[in-house]
Amino acid sequence: MNWTLALPEIVLALCGLAILVFGVVQKKGQPFLSCSMLTIGAFVLTAFLVVVSPDGTGYNHIFVNDSFARFMKLLSLAGGALATMLTVGYARELKVERFEFPVLLLFSTLGTMMMASSGNLMTLFIGLELSSLAIYILCAFARDDVRGAEAGLKYFVLGSLASGLLLYGSALVYGFAGTMEYGAIQTALSATSAVPMGLMIGIVFMLAGLTFKLSAVPFHMWTPDVYQGAPTPVTAFMAGAPKIAAFALLLRVMAGPFGHVAPQWQILIEAISIVSMLFGSLAAIPQTDIKRLMAYSSIGHMGYALMGLSAGTEEGMRGTLVYLTTYLLMNVGAFAVIIAMRRKGRAVTGIADLAGLGRTDPGLATAMAIFMFSMAGAPPLAGFFGKLMVFYAAINAHLFGLAAVGVVSSVIGAYYYVRIIKVMFFDEAAAPLDRRPLSLSFVSVGMGIATAGFLIVLGPVSTAAQAAAQALFR
Amino acid sequence: MTSVLADYFPVLVFGVLAVIIAGAMLGSSLLFGHQKPYAEKVSAYECGFEAFDDARHRFDVRFYLVAILFIIFDLEVAFLFPWAVSLSRIGLFGFLSMMGFLGILTVGFIYEWCKGALDWD
Repeated sequence: MNWTLALPEIVLALCGLAILVFGVVQKKGQPFLSCSMLTIGAFVLTAFLVVVSPDGTGYNHIFVNDSFARFMKLLSLAGGALATMLTVGYARELKVERFEFPVLLLFSTLGTMMMASSGNLMTLFIGLELSSLAIYILCAFARDDVRGAEAGLKYFVLGSLASGLLLYGSALVYGFAGTMEYGAIQTALSATSAVPMGLMIGIVFMLAGLTFKLSAVPFHMWTPDVYQGAPTPVTAFMAGAPKIAAFALLLRVMAGPFGHVAPQWQILIEAISIVSMLFGSLAAIPQTDIKRLMAYSSIGHMGYALMGLSAGTEEGMRGTLVYLTTYLLMNVGAFAVIIAMRRKGRAVTGIADLAGLGRTDPGLATAMAIFMFSMAGAPPLAGFFGKLMVFYAAINAHLFGLAAVGVVSSVIGAYYYVRIIKVMFFDEAAAPLDRRPLSLSFVSVGMGIATAGFLIVLGPVSTAAQAAAQALFR
Repeated sequence: MTSVLADYFPVLVFGVLAVIIAGAMLGSSLLFGHQKPYAEKVSAYECGFEAFDDARHRFDVRFYLVAILFIIFDLEVAFLFPWAVSLSRIGLFGFLSMMGFLGILTVGFIYEWCKGALDWD
Protein backbone atom coordinates (compact mmCIF):
# COMPACT_ATOMS: atom_id res chain seq x y z
CA MET A 1 0.00 0.00 0.00
CA ASN A 2 1.66 3.17 -1.22
CA TRP A 3 0.00 5.54 1.23
CA THR A 4 2.61 8.30 0.83
CA LEU A 5 0.96 9.21 -2.50
CA ALA A 6 -1.61 11.25 -0.62
CA LEU A 7 0.95 12.80 1.72
CA PRO A 8 0.19 16.42 0.64
CA GLU A 9 -3.53 15.90 1.32
CA ILE A 10 -2.89 14.16 4.64
CA VAL A 11 -0.54 16.92 5.78
CA LEU A 12 -2.98 19.63 4.72
CA ALA A 13 -5.84 17.89 6.54
CA LEU A 14 -3.76 17.51 9.72
CA CYS A 15 -2.72 21.18 9.50
CA GLY A 16 -6.39 22.15 9.15
CA LEU A 17 -7.38 20.15 12.22
CA ALA A 18 -4.44 21.55 14.20
CA ILE A 19 -5.29 25.14 13.23
CA LEU A 20 -8.92 24.55 14.22
CA VAL A 21 -7.91 23.28 17.66
CA PHE A 22 -5.33 26.06 18.04
CA GLY A 23 -7.98 28.65 17.22
CA VAL A 24 -10.65 27.30 19.50
CA VAL A 25 -8.52 26.94 22.63
CA GLN A 26 -7.45 30.63 22.54
CA LYS A 27 -9.06 32.21 25.57
CA LYS A 28 -9.34 35.85 24.56
CA GLY A 29 -10.04 37.60 21.27
CA GLN A 30 -10.26 36.14 17.80
CA PRO A 31 -7.00 34.53 16.64
CA PHE A 32 -8.03 35.36 13.06
CA LEU A 33 -4.73 36.80 11.93
CA SER A 34 -2.53 34.04 13.39
CA CYS A 35 -4.83 31.34 11.98
CA SER A 36 -4.75 33.00 8.55
CA MET A 37 -0.96 33.09 8.64
CA LEU A 38 -0.83 29.44 9.71
CA THR A 39 -3.21 28.54 6.87
CA ILE A 40 -1.04 30.28 4.30
CA GLY A 41 1.95 28.45 5.79
CA ALA A 42 0.08 25.14 5.46
CA PHE A 43 -0.67 25.93 1.80
CA VAL A 44 3.00 26.66 1.10
CA LEU A 45 4.14 23.47 2.86
CA THR A 46 1.57 21.41 0.93
CA ALA A 47 2.60 23.01 -2.37
CA PHE A 48 6.17 21.91 -1.67
CA LEU A 49 4.99 18.36 -0.89
CA VAL A 50 2.90 18.33 -4.09
CA VAL A 51 5.94 19.26 -6.17
CA VAL A 52 8.04 16.42 -4.76
CA SER A 53 5.21 13.84 -4.63
CA PRO A 54 5.77 10.68 -6.72
CA ASP A 55 3.64 9.42 -9.61
CA GLY A 56 1.39 6.41 -9.22
CA THR A 57 -1.97 5.11 -8.08
CA GLY A 58 -2.79 4.01 -4.59
CA TYR A 59 -5.52 3.06 -2.14
CA ASN A 60 -6.95 0.38 -4.46
CA HIS A 61 -6.86 2.68 -7.50
CA ILE A 62 -9.10 5.33 -6.00
CA PHE A 63 -6.30 7.89 -5.79
CA VAL A 64 -4.12 8.93 -8.71
CA ASN A 65 -1.10 11.17 -8.68
CA ASP A 66 0.42 12.27 -11.99
CA SER A 67 1.70 15.48 -13.53
CA PHE A 68 -1.88 16.51 -14.35
CA ALA A 69 -2.94 16.17 -10.72
CA ARG A 70 0.14 18.09 -9.59
CA PHE A 71 -0.54 20.94 -12.03
CA MET A 72 -4.14 21.28 -10.89
CA LYS A 73 -3.26 20.98 -7.20
CA LEU A 74 -0.68 23.75 -7.45
CA LEU A 75 -3.25 26.01 -9.13
CA SER A 76 -5.84 25.20 -6.43
CA LEU A 77 -3.35 25.83 -3.64
CA ALA A 78 -2.36 29.14 -5.22
CA GLY A 79 -6.05 30.08 -5.42
CA GLY A 80 -6.62 29.15 -1.78
CA ALA A 81 -3.53 30.98 -0.50
CA LEU A 82 -4.30 34.14 -2.48
CA ALA A 83 -7.92 34.15 -1.28
CA THR A 84 -6.70 33.86 2.32
CA MET A 85 -4.36 36.78 1.73
CA LEU A 86 -7.22 38.84 0.30
CA THR A 87 -9.22 38.29 3.51
CA VAL A 88 -6.60 39.61 5.90
CA GLY A 89 -6.88 43.32 5.07
CA TYR A 90 -10.57 44.02 5.57
CA ALA A 91 -11.62 41.00 7.65
CA ARG A 92 -13.44 43.04 10.31
CA GLU A 93 -15.20 45.29 7.81
CA LEU A 94 -16.29 42.29 5.72
CA LYS A 95 -17.63 40.61 8.91
CA VAL A 96 -15.49 37.55 8.35
CA GLU A 97 -13.05 38.06 11.21
CA ARG A 98 -13.43 34.64 12.81
CA PHE A 99 -10.72 32.02 12.78
CA GLU A 100 -13.03 29.44 11.19
CA PHE A 101 -12.83 31.38 7.94
CA PRO A 102 -9.26 30.43 6.89
CA VAL A 103 -9.86 26.88 8.19
CA LEU A 104 -12.91 26.52 5.92
CA LEU A 105 -10.90 27.88 2.99
CA LEU A 106 -8.26 25.27 3.79
CA PHE A 107 -10.76 22.39 3.85
CA SER A 108 -12.37 23.57 0.64
CA THR A 109 -8.94 23.62 -1.01
CA LEU A 110 -8.30 20.14 0.36
CA GLY A 111 -11.48 19.01 -1.41
CA THR A 112 -10.31 20.53 -4.68
CA MET A 113 -7.02 18.63 -4.34
CA MET A 114 -8.92 15.39 -3.81
CA MET A 115 -10.91 16.14 -6.96
CA ALA A 116 -7.73 16.60 -8.99
CA SER A 117 -6.45 13.21 -7.81
CA SER A 118 -9.65 11.20 -8.15
CA GLY A 119 -9.29 7.78 -9.74
CA ASN A 120 -12.77 6.58 -8.92
CA LEU A 121 -16.29 8.02 -9.12
CA MET A 122 -16.49 7.81 -5.32
CA THR A 123 -13.36 9.93 -4.73
CA LEU A 124 -14.74 12.35 -7.29
CA PHE A 125 -17.92 12.80 -5.28
CA ILE A 126 -16.23 12.98 -1.87
CA GLY A 127 -13.77 15.60 -3.07
CA LEU A 128 -16.50 17.64 -4.72
CA GLU A 129 -18.65 17.60 -1.59
CA LEU A 130 -15.76 18.42 0.74
CA SER A 131 -15.00 21.42 -1.39
CA SER A 132 -18.65 22.49 -1.85
CA LEU A 133 -19.84 22.09 1.74
CA ALA A 134 -17.12 24.44 2.97
CA ILE A 135 -18.06 26.99 0.30
CA TYR A 136 -21.76 26.87 1.26
CA ILE A 137 -20.76 27.98 4.76
CA LEU A 138 -18.27 30.55 3.47
CA CYS A 139 -20.94 32.18 1.27
CA ALA A 140 -23.18 32.79 4.27
CA PHE A 141 -20.29 33.61 6.59
CA ALA A 142 -21.52 37.17 7.22
CA ARG A 143 -24.65 35.78 8.89
CA ASP A 144 -26.39 39.06 9.67
CA ASP A 145 -26.05 40.25 6.09
CA VAL A 146 -29.26 39.53 4.14
CA ARG A 147 -27.50 39.29 0.79
CA GLY A 148 -24.86 36.92 2.15
CA ALA A 149 -27.46 34.63 3.73
CA GLU A 150 -29.43 34.61 0.49
CA ALA A 151 -26.31 33.77 -1.48
CA GLY A 152 -25.44 30.92 0.89
CA LEU A 153 -28.93 29.46 0.81
CA LYS A 154 -29.25 29.77 -2.95
CA TYR A 155 -25.90 28.17 -3.57
CA PHE A 156 -26.66 25.41 -1.08
CA VAL A 157 -30.02 24.47 -2.60
CA LEU A 158 -28.85 24.60 -6.21
CA GLY A 159 -25.49 23.02 -5.39
CA SER A 160 -27.19 20.10 -3.66
CA LEU A 161 -29.36 19.61 -6.71
CA ALA A 162 -26.26 19.53 -8.91
CA SER A 163 -24.56 17.07 -6.57
CA GLY A 164 -27.68 14.91 -6.78
CA LEU A 165 -27.55 14.98 -10.58
CA LEU A 166 -23.88 14.06 -10.51
CA LEU A 167 -24.51 11.21 -8.11
CA TYR A 168 -27.39 9.91 -10.20
CA GLY A 169 -25.18 10.04 -13.27
CA SER A 170 -22.40 8.13 -11.52
CA ALA A 171 -24.94 5.53 -10.38
CA LEU A 172 -26.05 5.04 -13.98
CA VAL A 173 -22.46 4.79 -15.18
CA TYR A 174 -21.75 2.26 -12.44
CA GLY A 175 -24.84 0.30 -13.40
CA PHE A 176 -23.82 0.03 -17.04
CA ALA A 177 -20.04 -0.28 -16.73
CA GLY A 178 -20.14 -2.43 -13.57
CA THR A 179 -17.32 -0.52 -11.91
CA MET A 180 -16.51 2.89 -10.47
CA GLU A 181 -12.81 2.92 -11.29
CA TYR A 182 -11.78 5.16 -14.17
CA GLY A 183 -9.34 2.62 -15.59
CA ALA A 184 -11.84 -0.24 -15.47
CA ILE A 185 -14.60 1.90 -17.02
CA GLN A 186 -12.21 2.74 -19.84
CA THR A 187 -11.45 -0.95 -20.43
CA ALA A 188 -15.14 -1.83 -20.32
CA LEU A 189 -16.03 0.88 -22.81
CA SER A 190 -13.24 0.07 -25.24
CA ALA A 191 -14.32 -3.58 -25.26
CA THR A 192 -17.76 -2.81 -26.70
CA SER A 193 -18.48 -1.01 -29.94
CA ALA A 194 -22.08 -0.05 -29.10
CA VAL A 195 -22.51 2.49 -26.33
CA PRO A 196 -25.53 1.69 -24.14
CA MET A 197 -28.12 4.47 -24.01
CA GLY A 198 -28.22 4.43 -20.22
CA LEU A 199 -24.50 5.02 -20.03
CA MET A 200 -24.87 8.07 -22.26
CA ILE A 201 -27.63 9.37 -19.97
CA GLY A 202 -25.29 8.81 -17.02
CA ILE A 203 -22.49 10.75 -18.71
CA VAL A 204 -24.89 13.60 -19.50
CA PHE A 205 -26.03 13.75 -15.87
CA MET A 206 -22.43 13.84 -14.68
CA LEU A 207 -21.70 16.59 -17.18
CA ALA A 208 -24.66 18.57 -15.86
CA GLY A 209 -23.41 18.25 -12.28
CA LEU A 210 -19.87 19.30 -13.18
CA THR A 211 -20.87 22.18 -15.45
CA PHE A 212 -23.00 23.50 -12.60
CA LYS A 213 -19.85 23.81 -10.50
CA LEU A 214 -18.18 25.51 -13.46
CA SER A 215 -21.19 27.82 -13.82
CA ALA A 216 -21.28 27.20 -17.56
CA VAL A 217 -24.55 27.93 -19.42
CA PRO A 218 -27.23 26.45 -18.98
CA PHE A 219 -26.33 25.84 -15.34
CA HIS A 220 -25.21 29.39 -14.59
CA MET A 221 -28.32 30.93 -12.99
CA TRP A 222 -26.91 30.95 -9.47
CA THR A 223 -23.66 32.69 -10.38
CA PRO A 224 -24.53 36.44 -10.44
CA ASP A 225 -26.57 36.39 -7.21
CA VAL A 226 -24.08 34.27 -5.30
CA TYR A 227 -21.08 36.25 -6.53
CA GLN A 228 -22.76 39.49 -5.54
CA GLY A 229 -24.00 38.34 -2.15
CA ALA A 230 -21.01 36.38 -0.85
CA PRO A 231 -18.17 38.23 0.94
CA THR A 232 -15.78 39.40 -1.79
CA PRO A 233 -12.78 37.22 -0.76
CA VAL A 234 -15.11 34.20 -0.92
CA THR A 235 -16.20 35.25 -4.39
CA ALA A 236 -12.54 35.52 -5.37
CA PHE A 237 -11.98 32.00 -4.04
CA MET A 238 -15.10 30.55 -5.69
CA ALA A 239 -14.08 31.94 -9.04
CA GLY A 240 -10.68 30.27 -8.68
CA ALA A 241 -9.89 26.97 -6.97
CA PRO A 242 -13.28 25.17 -7.17
CA LYS A 243 -13.66 25.94 -10.87
CA ILE A 244 -10.14 24.74 -11.56
CA ALA A 245 -10.90 21.54 -9.67
CA ALA A 246 -14.19 21.04 -11.52
CA PHE A 247 -12.21 21.40 -14.71
CA ALA A 248 -9.71 18.87 -13.40
CA LEU A 249 -12.55 16.39 -12.93
CA LEU A 250 -14.10 17.17 -16.27
CA LEU A 251 -10.80 16.77 -18.14
CA ARG A 252 -9.87 13.60 -16.29
CA VAL A 253 -13.25 11.92 -16.64
CA MET A 254 -13.81 12.92 -20.24
CA ALA A 255 -10.30 12.14 -21.47
CA GLY A 256 -9.89 8.96 -19.41
CA PRO A 257 -12.88 6.66 -18.81
CA PHE A 258 -15.16 8.30 -21.38
CA GLY A 259 -12.42 8.96 -23.91
CA HIS A 260 -13.64 6.14 -26.15
CA VAL A 261 -17.09 7.65 -26.52
CA ALA A 262 -15.66 11.10 -27.27
CA PRO A 263 -17.75 11.64 -30.44
CA GLN A 264 -20.87 11.29 -28.28
CA TRP A 265 -20.07 14.03 -25.75
CA GLN A 266 -17.89 16.32 -27.81
CA ILE A 267 -20.86 18.00 -29.46
CA LEU A 268 -22.39 18.65 -26.03
CA ILE A 269 -19.24 20.31 -24.70
CA GLU A 270 -19.02 22.32 -27.89
CA ALA A 271 -22.61 23.55 -27.47
CA ILE A 272 -22.06 24.43 -23.80
CA SER A 273 -18.88 26.27 -24.75
CA ILE A 274 -20.63 28.30 -27.48
CA VAL A 275 -23.61 29.37 -25.37
CA SER A 276 -21.38 30.15 -22.36
CA MET A 277 -19.12 32.42 -24.40
CA LEU A 278 -22.03 34.24 -26.03
CA PHE A 279 -24.10 34.53 -22.86
CA GLY A 280 -21.10 35.64 -20.79
CA SER A 281 -20.27 38.45 -23.14
CA LEU A 282 -23.82 39.61 -23.98
CA ALA A 283 -25.35 39.48 -20.48
CA ALA A 284 -22.42 41.37 -18.95
CA ILE A 285 -23.06 44.49 -21.06
CA PRO A 286 -25.97 46.02 -19.05
CA GLN A 287 -24.40 45.30 -15.63
CA THR A 288 -23.67 48.18 -13.28
CA ASP A 289 -22.32 46.18 -10.34
CA ILE A 290 -18.75 45.06 -10.77
CA LYS A 291 -19.19 41.81 -8.83
CA ARG A 292 -22.10 40.81 -11.07
CA LEU A 293 -20.01 41.80 -14.07
CA MET A 294 -17.23 39.50 -12.88
CA ALA A 295 -19.79 36.70 -12.52
CA TYR A 296 -20.87 37.03 -16.16
CA SER A 297 -17.25 37.40 -17.19
CA SER A 298 -16.40 34.13 -15.42
CA ILE A 299 -19.26 32.38 -17.26
CA GLY A 300 -17.70 33.55 -20.51
CA HIS A 301 -14.22 32.48 -19.44
CA MET A 302 -15.48 28.99 -18.65
CA GLY A 303 -16.80 28.85 -22.19
CA TYR A 304 -13.35 29.64 -23.60
CA ALA A 305 -11.69 27.09 -21.35
CA LEU A 306 -14.23 24.45 -22.43
CA MET A 307 -13.23 25.14 -26.03
CA GLY A 308 -9.97 23.30 -25.41
CA LEU A 309 -11.84 20.30 -24.02
CA SER A 310 -14.25 20.17 -26.94
CA ALA A 311 -11.28 19.84 -29.27
CA GLY A 312 -10.68 16.57 -27.41
CA THR A 313 -6.98 16.54 -28.22
CA GLU A 314 -3.85 16.75 -26.11
CA GLU A 315 -3.22 20.18 -27.57
CA GLY A 316 -6.71 21.27 -26.52
CA MET A 317 -6.21 20.06 -22.96
CA ARG A 318 -2.93 21.93 -22.80
CA GLY A 319 -4.72 25.06 -24.00
CA THR A 320 -7.37 24.65 -21.31
CA LEU A 321 -4.73 24.25 -18.60
CA VAL A 322 -2.83 27.35 -19.69
CA TYR A 323 -6.13 29.23 -19.95
CA LEU A 324 -7.04 28.28 -16.38
CA THR A 325 -3.62 29.44 -15.13
CA THR A 326 -4.00 32.85 -16.74
CA TYR A 327 -7.63 33.06 -15.58
CA LEU A 328 -6.58 32.45 -11.97
CA LEU A 329 -3.94 35.20 -12.12
CA MET A 330 -6.10 37.93 -13.59
CA ASN A 331 -9.20 36.95 -11.63
CA VAL A 332 -7.51 37.10 -8.21
CA GLY A 333 -5.92 40.41 -9.20
CA ALA A 334 -9.23 41.92 -10.28
CA PHE A 335 -10.89 40.80 -7.05
CA ALA A 336 -8.04 42.33 -5.02
CA VAL A 337 -8.90 45.66 -6.68
CA ILE A 338 -12.64 45.13 -6.00
CA ILE A 339 -11.97 44.47 -2.30
CA ALA A 340 -9.90 47.66 -2.18
CA MET A 341 -12.94 49.63 -3.43
CA ARG A 342 -14.06 51.21 -0.15
CA ARG A 343 -15.17 54.77 0.41
CA LYS A 344 -15.55 56.25 3.91
CA GLY A 345 -15.36 52.77 5.44
CA ARG A 346 -18.11 51.30 3.27
CA ALA A 347 -17.63 48.86 0.42
CA VAL A 348 -18.71 50.22 -2.98
CA THR A 349 -19.22 47.84 -5.89
CA GLY A 350 -20.74 49.99 -8.64
CA ILE A 351 -18.77 50.35 -11.85
CA ALA A 352 -19.47 54.11 -11.60
CA ASP A 353 -17.59 54.15 -8.29
CA LEU A 354 -14.39 53.48 -10.23
CA ALA A 355 -14.76 56.82 -12.02
CA GLY A 356 -11.58 58.82 -12.15
CA LEU A 357 -9.53 56.19 -10.35
CA GLY A 358 -6.79 56.89 -12.88
CA ARG A 359 -6.25 60.30 -11.26
CA THR A 360 -7.00 59.56 -7.61
CA ASP A 361 -5.11 56.26 -7.42
CA PRO A 362 -3.03 55.65 -10.55
CA GLY A 363 -1.35 52.50 -9.21
CA LEU A 364 -4.59 50.65 -8.52
CA ALA A 365 -6.11 51.89 -11.78
CA THR A 366 -3.12 50.64 -13.77
CA ALA A 367 -3.36 47.21 -12.11
CA MET A 368 -7.11 47.04 -12.89
CA ALA A 369 -6.45 48.14 -16.48
CA ILE A 370 -3.92 45.31 -16.87
CA PHE A 371 -6.46 42.75 -15.60
CA MET A 372 -9.24 44.09 -17.82
CA PHE A 373 -7.06 44.18 -20.95
CA SER A 374 -5.85 40.67 -20.11
CA MET A 375 -9.43 39.39 -19.72
CA ALA A 376 -10.32 40.98 -23.03
CA GLY A 377 -7.40 39.03 -24.50
CA ALA A 378 -5.12 41.87 -25.57
CA PRO A 379 -1.52 40.85 -26.32
CA PRO A 380 1.03 40.58 -24.74
CA LEU A 381 -0.88 40.05 -21.48
CA ALA A 382 -1.62 36.67 -19.91
CA GLY A 383 -5.20 36.33 -21.17
CA PHE A 384 -4.06 36.56 -24.77
CA PHE A 385 -1.91 33.42 -24.58
CA GLY A 386 -4.68 31.40 -22.96
CA LYS A 387 -7.12 32.41 -25.69
CA LEU A 388 -4.53 31.88 -28.40
CA MET A 389 -3.86 28.30 -27.32
CA VAL A 390 -7.51 27.24 -27.08
CA PHE A 391 -8.37 28.89 -30.43
CA TYR A 392 -5.37 27.20 -32.03
CA ALA A 393 -6.44 23.80 -30.67
CA ALA A 394 -10.03 24.34 -31.86
CA ILE A 395 -8.89 25.24 -35.37
CA ASN A 396 -6.53 22.25 -35.51
CA ALA A 397 -9.45 20.02 -34.52
CA HIS A 398 -11.46 21.56 -37.42
CA LEU A 399 -13.95 23.23 -35.10
CA PHE A 400 -14.08 26.40 -37.19
CA GLY A 401 -17.57 27.39 -36.07
CA LEU A 402 -16.57 27.18 -32.43
CA ALA A 403 -13.44 29.26 -33.01
CA ALA A 404 -15.45 31.86 -34.96
CA VAL A 405 -17.99 32.19 -32.13
CA GLY A 406 -15.06 32.50 -29.72
CA VAL A 407 -13.55 35.36 -31.67
CA VAL A 408 -16.88 37.15 -32.03
CA SER A 409 -17.77 36.86 -28.35
CA SER A 410 -14.31 37.94 -27.29
CA VAL A 411 -14.76 41.08 -29.41
CA ILE A 412 -18.14 41.71 -27.74
CA GLY A 413 -16.55 41.03 -24.35
CA ALA A 414 -13.80 43.54 -25.04
CA TYR A 415 -16.50 46.24 -25.01
CA TYR A 416 -17.33 45.96 -21.35
CA TYR A 417 -13.77 45.35 -20.22
CA VAL A 418 -12.60 48.44 -22.07
CA ARG A 419 -15.59 50.39 -20.73
CA ILE A 420 -14.25 49.89 -17.18
CA ILE A 421 -10.89 51.28 -18.29
CA LYS A 422 -12.67 54.23 -19.89
CA VAL A 423 -14.59 54.89 -16.65
CA MET A 424 -11.38 54.76 -14.65
CA PHE A 425 -9.27 57.03 -16.83
CA PHE A 426 -11.61 59.35 -18.70
CA ASP A 427 -14.64 59.94 -16.46
CA GLU A 428 -15.15 62.76 -13.98
CA ALA A 429 -13.27 61.81 -10.80
CA ALA A 430 -15.42 60.63 -7.89
CA ALA A 431 -14.25 60.93 -4.27
CA PRO A 432 -10.98 59.03 -3.71
CA LEU A 433 -11.06 55.51 -2.26
CA ASP A 434 -9.91 54.75 1.28
CA ARG A 435 -6.31 53.85 1.97
CA ARG A 436 -5.94 50.14 1.43
CA PRO A 437 -4.05 47.63 3.58
CA LEU A 438 -0.66 46.40 2.47
CA SER A 439 -1.88 42.85 1.74
CA LEU A 440 -4.26 44.04 -1.00
CA SER A 441 -1.58 46.17 -2.63
CA PHE A 442 0.75 43.20 -2.47
CA VAL A 443 -1.72 40.82 -4.17
CA SER A 444 -2.86 43.30 -6.82
CA VAL A 445 0.70 44.35 -7.69
CA GLY A 446 1.93 40.76 -7.68
CA MET A 447 -0.88 39.55 -9.92
CA GLY A 448 -0.45 42.64 -12.12
CA ILE A 449 3.21 41.83 -12.69
CA ALA A 450 2.42 38.15 -13.30
CA THR A 451 -0.32 39.04 -15.80
CA ALA A 452 1.74 41.64 -17.63
CA GLY A 453 4.91 39.56 -17.73
CA PHE A 454 3.29 36.20 -18.43
CA LEU A 455 5.33 35.88 -21.61
CA ILE A 456 8.43 35.23 -19.47
CA VAL A 457 6.88 32.24 -17.68
CA LEU A 458 4.88 31.07 -20.69
CA GLY A 459 7.56 28.53 -21.60
CA PRO A 460 7.68 26.67 -18.26
CA VAL A 461 3.89 26.90 -17.78
CA SER A 462 3.10 25.47 -21.18
CA THR A 463 5.74 22.74 -20.76
CA ALA A 464 4.12 21.76 -17.45
CA ALA A 465 0.68 21.91 -19.08
CA GLN A 466 1.95 19.75 -21.94
CA ALA A 467 3.23 17.13 -19.49
CA ALA A 468 -0.06 17.27 -17.62
CA ALA A 469 -2.10 16.82 -20.81
CA GLN A 470 0.11 13.89 -21.84
CA ALA A 471 -0.51 12.23 -18.47
CA LEU A 472 -4.25 12.42 -19.18
CA PHE A 473 -4.03 10.53 -22.42
CA ARG A 474 -1.62 7.87 -21.25
CA MET B 1 -33.46 3.95 -26.47
CA THR B 2 -36.41 1.61 -27.09
CA SER B 3 -34.60 -1.26 -25.34
CA VAL B 4 -34.08 0.91 -22.24
CA LEU B 5 -37.74 1.87 -22.23
CA ALA B 6 -38.75 -1.76 -22.73
CA ASP B 7 -36.80 -2.67 -19.59
CA TYR B 8 -38.97 -0.29 -17.62
CA PHE B 9 -42.25 -1.71 -18.99
CA PRO B 10 -42.91 -3.85 -15.86
CA VAL B 11 -42.63 -0.69 -13.76
CA LEU B 12 -45.29 0.97 -15.89
CA VAL B 13 -47.55 -2.08 -15.57
CA PHE B 14 -47.02 -2.06 -11.81
CA GLY B 15 -47.87 1.63 -11.58
CA VAL B 16 -51.06 1.27 -13.62
CA LEU B 17 -52.19 -1.76 -11.58
CA ALA B 18 -51.54 0.08 -8.33
CA VAL B 19 -53.65 3.04 -9.43
CA ILE B 20 -56.50 0.77 -10.61
CA ILE B 21 -56.61 -1.34 -7.45
CA ALA B 22 -56.36 1.60 -5.06
CA GLY B 23 -58.93 3.57 -7.05
CA ALA B 24 -61.33 0.59 -7.10
CA MET B 25 -61.07 0.11 -3.32
CA LEU B 26 -61.61 3.74 -2.40
CA GLY B 27 -64.15 4.39 -5.14
CA SER B 28 -66.34 1.34 -4.39
CA SER B 29 -66.47 2.15 -0.67
CA LEU B 30 -67.48 5.68 -1.58
CA LEU B 31 -70.15 4.47 -4.03
CA PHE B 32 -71.68 1.44 -2.28
CA GLY B 33 -71.02 2.06 1.42
CA HIS B 34 -73.56 3.74 3.72
CA GLN B 35 -72.21 7.12 4.78
CA LYS B 36 -73.77 8.26 8.05
CA PRO B 37 -71.21 10.39 9.90
CA TYR B 38 -71.96 11.67 13.43
CA ALA B 39 -69.76 13.20 16.10
CA GLU B 40 -68.83 9.95 17.87
CA LYS B 41 -67.96 8.19 14.63
CA VAL B 42 -65.59 10.81 13.23
CA SER B 43 -63.79 11.46 16.54
CA ALA B 44 -60.22 10.25 17.12
CA TYR B 45 -59.94 6.58 18.00
CA GLU B 46 -57.33 3.93 18.76
CA CYS B 47 -55.13 6.29 20.77
CA GLY B 48 -57.15 6.34 23.94
CA PHE B 49 -58.18 9.90 24.47
CA GLU B 50 -58.61 13.25 22.77
CA ALA B 51 -55.46 15.28 22.06
CA PHE B 52 -54.97 18.03 24.71
CA ASP B 53 -53.11 20.36 22.41
CA ASP B 54 -51.82 20.98 18.92
CA ALA B 55 -48.57 19.09 18.29
CA ARG B 56 -47.14 22.00 16.33
CA HIS B 57 -46.22 24.34 19.13
CA ARG B 58 -43.04 26.33 19.59
CA PHE B 59 -39.99 24.96 21.31
CA ASP B 60 -36.54 26.31 22.07
CA VAL B 61 -34.38 26.74 18.96
CA ARG B 62 -31.39 25.39 20.89
CA PHE B 63 -32.84 21.89 20.56
CA TYR B 64 -31.78 22.05 16.93
CA LEU B 65 -28.13 22.19 17.94
CA VAL B 66 -28.60 19.22 20.27
CA ALA B 67 -30.33 17.32 17.46
CA ILE B 68 -27.52 18.03 15.00
CA LEU B 69 -24.82 17.00 17.47
CA PHE B 70 -26.79 13.86 18.23
CA ILE B 71 -26.99 12.96 14.54
CA ILE B 72 -23.23 13.38 14.09
CA PHE B 73 -22.40 10.93 16.86
CA ASP B 74 -25.28 8.65 15.90
CA LEU B 75 -23.83 8.31 12.41
CA GLU B 76 -20.40 7.63 13.85
CA VAL B 77 -21.82 4.58 15.62
CA ALA B 78 -23.54 3.51 12.40
CA PHE B 79 -20.13 3.49 10.73
CA LEU B 80 -18.50 1.66 13.63
CA PHE B 81 -20.74 -1.44 13.41
CA PRO B 82 -19.76 -2.65 9.91
CA TRP B 83 -16.15 -1.78 10.70
CA ALA B 84 -16.24 -3.85 13.89
CA VAL B 85 -17.64 -6.99 12.26
CA SER B 86 -15.22 -6.86 9.31
CA LEU B 87 -12.16 -5.92 11.38
CA SER B 88 -10.57 -9.35 11.01
CA ARG B 89 -10.51 -9.00 7.23
CA ILE B 90 -9.60 -5.35 6.62
CA GLY B 91 -6.29 -5.54 8.46
CA LEU B 92 -4.14 -2.79 9.92
CA PHE B 93 -5.04 -0.27 7.19
CA GLY B 94 -8.73 -0.62 7.92
CA PHE B 95 -8.09 -0.27 11.63
CA LEU B 96 -6.01 2.88 11.16
CA SER B 97 -8.57 4.37 8.76
CA MET B 98 -11.24 4.18 11.44
CA MET B 99 -8.82 5.60 13.99
CA GLY B 100 -8.26 8.55 11.62
CA PHE B 101 -12.02 8.99 11.30
CA LEU B 102 -12.46 8.92 15.06
CA GLY B 103 -9.59 11.38 15.44
CA ILE B 104 -11.31 13.85 13.10
CA LEU B 105 -14.54 13.42 15.06
CA THR B 106 -12.66 14.06 18.30
CA VAL B 107 -11.34 17.33 16.92
CA GLY B 108 -14.94 18.22 16.04
CA PHE B 109 -15.97 17.34 19.58
CA ILE B 110 -13.21 19.50 21.09
CA TYR B 111 -14.34 22.34 18.83
CA GLU B 112 -17.99 22.15 19.85
CA TRP B 113 -17.06 21.82 23.53
CA CYS B 114 -14.76 24.85 23.50
CA LYS B 115 -17.31 26.84 21.47
CA GLY B 116 -19.84 26.18 24.23
CA ALA B 117 -22.27 24.28 22.03
CA LEU B 118 -22.83 21.80 24.86
CA ASP B 119 -23.87 24.47 27.39
CA TRP B 120 -27.56 25.28 27.53
CA ASP B 121 -27.05 28.88 28.65
